[in-house]
Amino acid sequence: MAYQVHLDNFEGPLDLLLYFIQRDKIDIYDIPIAHITREYLEYLELMEALNLAVAGEFILLAATLMRIKARMLLPRPEPVDDELMADPRQELVHQLIEYRRFKAASISLGKLAARRSVLYPVGRDLSREANGTELGNYLQGVNLFQLMVVVREVLGQLPAQTVLELQTEPIQLDDSIRTIRRALASARQVVLQQIFSTASGVQEVVVLFLAVLELIRRGAATALQATSFGEIVLVAVPEN
Amino acid sequence: MNEQILQIAEALLTATAEPLTQVKFNQSLERNDLRLADVMASLRERFVEQRRPVDIVPIAGGYQLVTREEFEPYLRRLARKAGSLALSRAALETLAVVAYRQPATKHDIDQVRGVNTGAVLRTLMEKSLVTIKGRDEGVGRPLLYGTTQEFLKSFGLNRLSDLPKLKEVDSIMGAEVTPVLTSDAAQ
Repeated sequence: MAYQVHLDNFEGPLDLLLYFIQRDKIDIYDIPIAHITREYLEYLELMEALNLAVAGEFILLAATLMRIKARMLLPRPEPVDDELMADPRQELVHQLIEYRRFKAASISLGKLAARRSVLYPVGRDLSREANGTELGNYLQGVNLFQLMVVVREVLGQLPAQTVLELQTEPIQLDDSIRTIRRALASARQVVLQQIFSTASGVQEVVVLFLAVLELIRRGAATALQATSFGEIVLVAVPEN
Repeated sequence: MNEQILQIAEALLTATAEPLTQVKFNQSLERNDLRLADVMASLRERFVEQRRPVDIVPIAGGYQLVTREEFEPYLRRLARKAGSLALSRAALETLAVVAYRQPATKHDIDQVRGVNTGAVLRTLMEKSLVTIKGRDEGVGRPLLYGTTQEFLKSFGLNRLSDLPKLKEVDSIMGAEVTPVLTSDAAQ
């Protein structure tokens, strides 16, 4: 079987989809999703078979197409409001039309540039323009050694890196429990906020809170609140 | 039109490829009672009469002296230039979105094209066709891109409003977007 590989230069997944729509003379407002999804996936497989890297955007659109296909298969809910009635293809169609407008515009721009490029401004130096700004010519006449010298100089100018090693202060739950116990022993009851007032960081607040919970669980203390949103007071429960 | 004025105007146009604006013209003549548009029109007439190889075109808000179109092949061979401004389709598409949507964020552009435009945008900035116009007020304060004077010059536009109208051109699309065989990876 003759198999003709037609490798087109598509600018992206939308471009590819638009190509199918044009080739098969599909009404953009009524895209046969199952058909176009099949075409699209076949093309992606071809790209993979040819060892071309399939960009993530192509795969994303494949997922979108399959999601729309799935939603088209589901029975439509009773028309309750506009949002529920919306065609699952609507967003994609909008995107395609938008893309098509700009693609058309880019073609017009290309023509403008071509028309303009045949007019040579007087006063501009043609000989300079010839080897001017083409990227490949930036490094003309520079050899590897000169490049290395420059790189070394640049690297030498970089500020010396200062490495600061930060050590985390390990905060032990047991230590926090002892702290709270001490506070309770001297005052019998402590306002909760007061316990946290000595904390030096989020980590310590968390551990202190865990310590409070642990003391309550063990039955060594109870938390009391007089009114909603009022102060919470931690009260020591006498042993035995 | 005063002969001396016409000669001065031609001298100004000849000396630089930068567009001659009304402001620069006034500055140079140290007077501001002459409409540059009128002077340019008279000079153009004279060029036609004398069958000169140059013409005056309005560009980027000013006027530029250019060689006439028919001499392009000779000049191209002299310059050994590749032809028109070498922009890939991806670059042209991106430029179109920036031109019509400006100021536009990178997200706006990506959204329309359905691909990441980072690299293309950089190329356009390197070619001075696109520049950063500021930051959006929205979340993350993303950069806003717009076109430059260089863009107007490269595309032969006098001002942005001279851009072809953005509309649905099905006829253009059908006829001219024949798939191109190239070695570029699909971006």
